[in-house]
Amino acid sequence: MKLKILSLVAVLATSALAAHAEGVLSIGTEGEYPPWSMADADGNVTGFDADVGALLCAKLEMECNFVVQAFDGLIPALNANRFDVIISGMSITAERKNEIAFSVGYAEFPNRFVVSADSGLAGITDIPAFLAALDGRKVGTQAATTHANFIAKLAPNAVLLTYASLDQQWIDLASGRIETAFADATADQDFLDRPEGEGFVMSQVTIPSTYDATLGEGIGVGIRQDDTELKARIDQALCELIADGSIGVASEKWFNVDISRPCQ
Amino acid sequence: MDLILMAVPVLLKGLVMTLTLTATSVAIGFTLGLGLALMRVSNSAIAERIARYYSIMFRGTPLLVQLFLIYYGLGQFSFVQDSTVLWWVFSEGTRCAVLALALNTAAYTSEILRGGLQSVPVGLVEAASAAGMSRVLRFRRIEFPLAIRQALPAYGNELVLVVKGTSLASTITVLEITGYAKRLMSQTFAILEVFALAGVIYLALNVLLIGLLRLVERRLMRHQQR
Repeated sequence: MKLKILSLVAVLATSALAAHAEGVLSIGTEGEYPPWSMADADGNVTGFDADVGALLCAKLEMECNFVVQAFDGLIPALNANRFDVIISGMSITAERKNEIAFSVGYAEFPNRFVVSADSGLAGITDIPAFLAALDGRKVGTQAATTHANFIAKLAPNAVLLTYASLDQQWIDLASGRIETAFADATADQDFLDRPEGEGFVMSQVTIPSTYDATLGEGIGVGIRQDDTELKARIDQALCELIADGSIGVASEKWFNVDISRPCQ
Repeated sequence: MDLILMAVPVLLKGLVMTLTLTATSVAIGFTLGLGLALMRVSNSAIAERIARYYSIMFRGTPLLVQLFLIYYGLGQFSFVQDSTVLWWVFSEGTRCAVLALALNTAAYTSEILRGGLQSVPVGLVEAASAAGMSRVLRFRRIEFPLAIRQALPAYGNELVLVVKGTSLASTITVLEITGYAKRLMSQTFAILEVFALAGVIYLALNVLLIGLLRLVERRLMRHQQR
C-alpha cells in the first residue's frame, strides 16, 4: 500500500515537472480561434499565436511545446502550472491582471460586429447608437473574452449568448439564432471569407481597444505572477521582435495587415 | 464574503432555469417513456423492436453528443430553419436542451418501467381479467400501480441523473446553474468558491428530491409497514 502511494506520488511529481522541463517553453493556446490559433487533429498548432510563440522560443533559445486548452480555462490552467505562458490572442485587462502577469503588449486589433447584410444594424455608423440598437437583440461572443465583458457592460439590455469556441458562435450566427456577433476584426474576416459567411457583412462601426477599459490594452503573453524572471526575458525578447519587424511580418502573413504594437 | 453575496443571487437565477429544464424534460420524458415501455411489453413485434432500438440508441450515446447533434447538427438544416414549428424548437438553446434531456430520459424511463411492468405477477392480471376488467381498467388499477411501486427506487436515481444532466445545457448557451457559474468564473476568477457554491446548490436540490421520493415510496409501500 505504502509503495502504491509512493509510486503514485512519483508519477504525479514527474507529470508536474513536465511543465518545467529545462529548455522547454510550454505554451497554452486555444487552438480554435482562426487565424490566431488553430490546432489540427494531431495537436499541431498554426496561426499568428503559433508564429509569435515560435519567434519567442527562438529568441529565448528554448523549445516550444504547445498545450491546447479552451480559452475560458487558460488562466486557471496557467495558475495550476499546466504550462508556463499563455499565447492565445489574450488582451491585457485589469481583471486578468489580478490573476496573472502580462508581458508588454505585442499586438492590437480593432473590434467589429458581424451582422446580416439586410439587418438594420448594418447601416449604423455611430458607436453609441449601435450599442443602443442592441437592446433586446441576441448578441453572441466567445465566453470569457473582452468582447463578452464589453457587451455585458456597455449593452446591458442586449441578450448575451456566450460560446466555448468561435466556430460555435459562427454556426449560430449563420443559422440565425443570434442577430450579431462581436469579435476582433481579424476573426470576423475569417468567417466572412467562408461560404457560410455569405450574406453577412462587417458592421460600419469599428470599436478600438481604447474605447473602453473592458477591451484591454493590447494583446500580451500571459505569465504567472511569481515568474518575474521569465517575464523580464519575454519582455526583452518581444521588444526586440517588434523592433526588428518579425512580429509585423507574422501579422502580415495571417491578417494581411500589420497589427503589431510598438513596445512600450 | 462579498463574493458569495454577489454569486448566490446569480446562481439562484440559474437554479430557476435548472428546475425548469428538469421539470419540463421529466414531464415529457416520463410520458414518452411510459409509451415506450408499453410498446416493449406489447404483443406487436414491430412496436417492441422500435422501442428496443430507441432505448439502445439513446442509452448508448452520451447526452453531450445528443445535445450537440440536436443544437448544432439539426439546427443547420434549411428545412429545420424554414419550418416555423421546427425552428421554434431549434432556435432556442433552452428548447433544444429540453428536447435532448426528454428523449434521453425517456429511454431510461422506458427500461425502468418495463422492468416494473414485467414484475407484475401474471396471476394478478389473470384474476383481474377473470373479474371482467377491461384492458384499460386493468392497467390503471392493477398493472400500473404495482409496476410503479417496483420501479420507483430506480426511477428516483434517474431523476437525480436528469438534474445533473441539465448542467450540460450550459454548453449550448443555456444559462442554468453551471452556465452562470462559468460566467462568474470568467468575471471573478474565483473558481473554487463559485463551483463549490454551484455544487452545494445541486446537492441541496438532489437531497430534497431524494427526500421527496422517499416520502412517495413510503406512501406506496404503506401496506408493508407494521
